[in-house]
Amino acid sequence: MAYDTNPAPSTVYHPAPPGMQIKVAARDLSVTYGDALALDRVQIDIPDRSVTACIGPSGCGKSTFLRCINRMNDTIDTARVRGSIKIDGEEVNDRSIDPVLLRARVGMVFQKPNPFPKTIFENVAYGPRIHGLAANKDELAAIVETSLTKAGLWKEVADRLHQPGTSLSGGQQQRLVIARAIAVNPEVILMDEPCSALDPIATARIEELIDELRENYALIIVTHSMAQAARVSQMTAFFHLGALVEYGPTEEIFTNPRDQRTQDYITGRFG
Amino acid sequence: MVRRYWRRGRPECAGHEWLAAAAPEKIMQITVLVALTLLVLTAFGFLTGRRRALAVRARSGPRLHSLPNYYGYYIALWTGGPALVLLAVYGAFGSGLVNTLAMSQLEREAAPLIAEFERQLDSDSDFIALLEEAAEAETDALEAREAITRARDAGLDPQAFQAALAGHTTRLTEIGARLGQRRADIARTVAARAPSSDAGIRARSGFEFWNSPRERRELFLADARAIAFGEGLASRNTPELRAAALAMRPVEDIFRYSVAALALSMAVGGLAWGRSRIKASFRARNRVETAITGLLMFASVIAILTTLGIVFSLLFESLRFFASIGWRVGDFLFGLQWSPQIAIRADQIGQSGAFGAVPLFAGTALITAIAMTVAVPVGLFSAIYMSEYAGPRVRAVAKPILEVLAGVPTVVYGFFALLTVGPFLRDFALFLGYEDAVTQSALSAGLVMGVMIIPFVSSLSDDVINAVPQSLRDGAYAMGATKSEAIRHVVLPAALPGIVGAVLLGVSRAIGETMIVVMAAGQGANLTANPLESVTTITVQIVTLLTGDQEFDSSKTLAAFALGLVLFVLTLMLNIIALRVVQRFRERYE
Ligand SMILES: Nc1ncnc2c1ncn2[C@@H]1O[C@H](COP(=O)(O)OP(=O)(O)OP(=O)(O)O)[C@@H](O)[C@H]1O
Ligand SMILES: [Mg+2]
Repeated sequence: MAYDTNPAPSTVYHPAPPGMQIKVAARDLSVTYGDALALDRVQIDIPDRSVTACIGPSGCGKSTFLRCINRMNDTIDTARVRGSIKIDGEEVNDRSIDPVLLRARVGMVFQKPNPFPKTIFENVAYGPRIHGLAANKDELAAIVETSLTKAGLWKEVADRLHQPGTSLSGGQQQRLVIARAIAVNPEVILMDEPCSALDPIATARIEELIDELRENYALIIVTHSMAQAARVSQMTAFFHLGALVEYGPTEEIFTNPRDQRTQDYITGRFG
Repeated sequence: MVRRYWRRGRPECAGHEWLAAAAPEKIMQITVLVALTLLVLTAFGFLTGRRRALAVRARSGPRLHSLPNYYGYYIALWTGGPALVLLAVYGAFGSGLVNTLAMSQLEREAAPLIAEFERQLDSDSDFIALLEEAAEAETDALEAREAITRARDAGLDPQAFQAALAGHTTRLTEIGARLGQRRADIARTVAARAPSSDAGIRARSGFEFWNSPRERRELFLADARAIAFGEGLASRNTPELRAAALAMRPVEDIFRYSVAALALSMAVGGLAWGRSRIKASFRARNRVETAITGLLMFASVIAILTTLGIVFSLLFESLRFFASIGWRVGDFLFGLQWSPQIAIRADQIGQSGAFGAVPLFAGTALITAIAMTVAVPVGLFSAIYMSEYAGPRVRAVAKPILEVLAGVPTVVYGFFALLTVGPFLRDFALFLGYEDAVTQSALSAGLVMGVMIIPFVSSLSDDVINAVPQSLRDGAYAMGATKSEAIRHVVLPAALPGIVGAVLLGVSRAIGETMIVVMAAGQGANLTANPLESVTTITVQIVTLLTGDQEFDSSKTLAAFALGLVLFVLTLMLNIIALRVVQRFRERYE
């Protein structure tokens, strides 16, 4: 394939913050859809208990990168993943890894809220149920309550747990699916443009929530909003045409971008 | 053809040789000529409009409102439209008008015969006696009915009164038949008295028409028209019919020529009118748009009116049926015995039990249940496989194959059921030691019908499963669900309303299916839940009641309409529910 003969794209790495504990590490990670190259030999170390923002113009491979981490690319027939990606030093693409169990460790929140056609309670209880995390009903109810509380939704839905999840507002639905994701107690949470369908107030709530979740999880979020990336993330990765162009602490990237493309993108000169 | 009929009839119909030569083809030619002229005029109108518009555009001045073609369409519409409407109206009502005019003339000429007939009827002692008897029977029947109501109100068993009522009704029918007989006899003697001159035959023709009941009148008119204009074949050819035909000819001619002239002048007038309106500011485009809207609306109105017409005729014939069984709708809907063949005998009309439709409902339900037992799992599972598991290559081959099933004519399924499945099931049952096994059984019809319905259920379910947003599947996978968990927990519940809709549509197909059951389920109106016996369904009974030589107003044939009404209401309700459910489902994911 063409990219094997091309030189690997070069990435500008800013110095990592002191004491960074690596959670997710990608080496030579490439993804092709059929013949089209979507991700080209990405090398990246993502820290634990912090928020990493993926930014870049549309179609540059941000979502593709995210889907590598929980092997959601398996569900796309034409997708082919090469290279290595490790969580806590464990190879994700290894045959011995069961993607079903992996996805319990790596939660994912999508761009459009997608609650299941079930009640609010059942939406949150879904993960614990299929993974057998609760021994009895009370435990399950406790999990549901703590998850909804962590997602900042408990107060609003405590008295309507048995109404359909689809009856909530868009912002509430997004927090519901976040609660659904954290109900299985994952280690990494992936968020693909979690606020793009929401109004500013709902966005602010989700951002607050992301900031709280940082205490316990490694979060990786894709966003098109520079301001959001600057507000919520500690690390920022800039992708362009399938390549990781620049990666480092968010402050560094925004105040001192070293690659011309990064500079152009964050100053809004292309996108 | 027509001429041959005439030659055969000629000796009796002296003085009208010219009729034999008056070729219906000539009249045809006029119609064709008018239609062709209209076409030419319309085309000419289009060209004129276009040309004028172009001419207006060529002159400097205000901009032309519409493209030149629209002015052409506008004039063409004015040229062809009204004339076509006139022709259509004439086509629809013209013959009826001609018939009415011609026959009322003949009836006037028959006035002396009619008067004579009524005089004889009034003075005929037999007839009067029969009338009195009939009145008596009617009073008795009325009393019996009241007695039944009273007994019911008092909580007593009305059995005895019911038997009496049945007796009275039978007597009434009998008297009715004899009254008709006597009336016909008198009419024959009266008609025989008319002279066999032209005038006499015309009077006899008018009298025969006057004295015919509704259905006979229609037949009479149809035959007369067949003789006069070559519209189809006459079933009889009597002097009376020929006289009627002769009376129709001139009336028809006048109408035809004047309508042709009127249509042509309307076309020319329309052309001139349209032409006079064309100027730069004229909004031809909007006018044409209005005309198109009108045309489309007209088409839908026709569709709706036709449906309404069918429903109403079903309703009215059903009412006639219920009247003929003495309004005992309950006996029809809940009666346990179905034997319409006995009921055509006069002494059986109104006998309770003969028209109890429960065995038919039960048979329909049994076969439908068997069919759905086959169609729902197979159809649903194959839909799930096709939409969730099969790769694009498998789908490209398997889906069309499945849909071929939907294209197989039901009669083919029918003989497959009759010749292959039926005997196999019978032999298998015999082998298992079931002695009464028959070839035509509910099971074989149901199984084959199920196969027929599979593609329905599967392609509709496939659609609704595909309509479930991918984001829901992704959500389930991202939670760590396996493929079948994602399908069972998320995709199917989301698609459930649509699947229910698909199944209900399948059920209404099964209920309305006729050919397979006619061929494979047998005819016996058994009230049974045993799928190895032969049963009969609503549709099969409609077919048996209406095929063969039947008077179209006996209870037996009218019963078919009542069954049709039940069938209609049943499938209508199922379809409404199914559509509602599917719609609800659509809204959710729009
Ligand atoms: N299922 C797929 N099949 C084929 N090509 C795909 C598929 N998904 C993504 N691609 C291609 O891979 C490339 C990267 O897509 P990706 O979705 O990762 O972009 P993105 O950075 O998330 O863009 P956006 O910001 O618009 O969401 C694009 O060129 C896209 O066309
Ligand atoms: Mg994306």
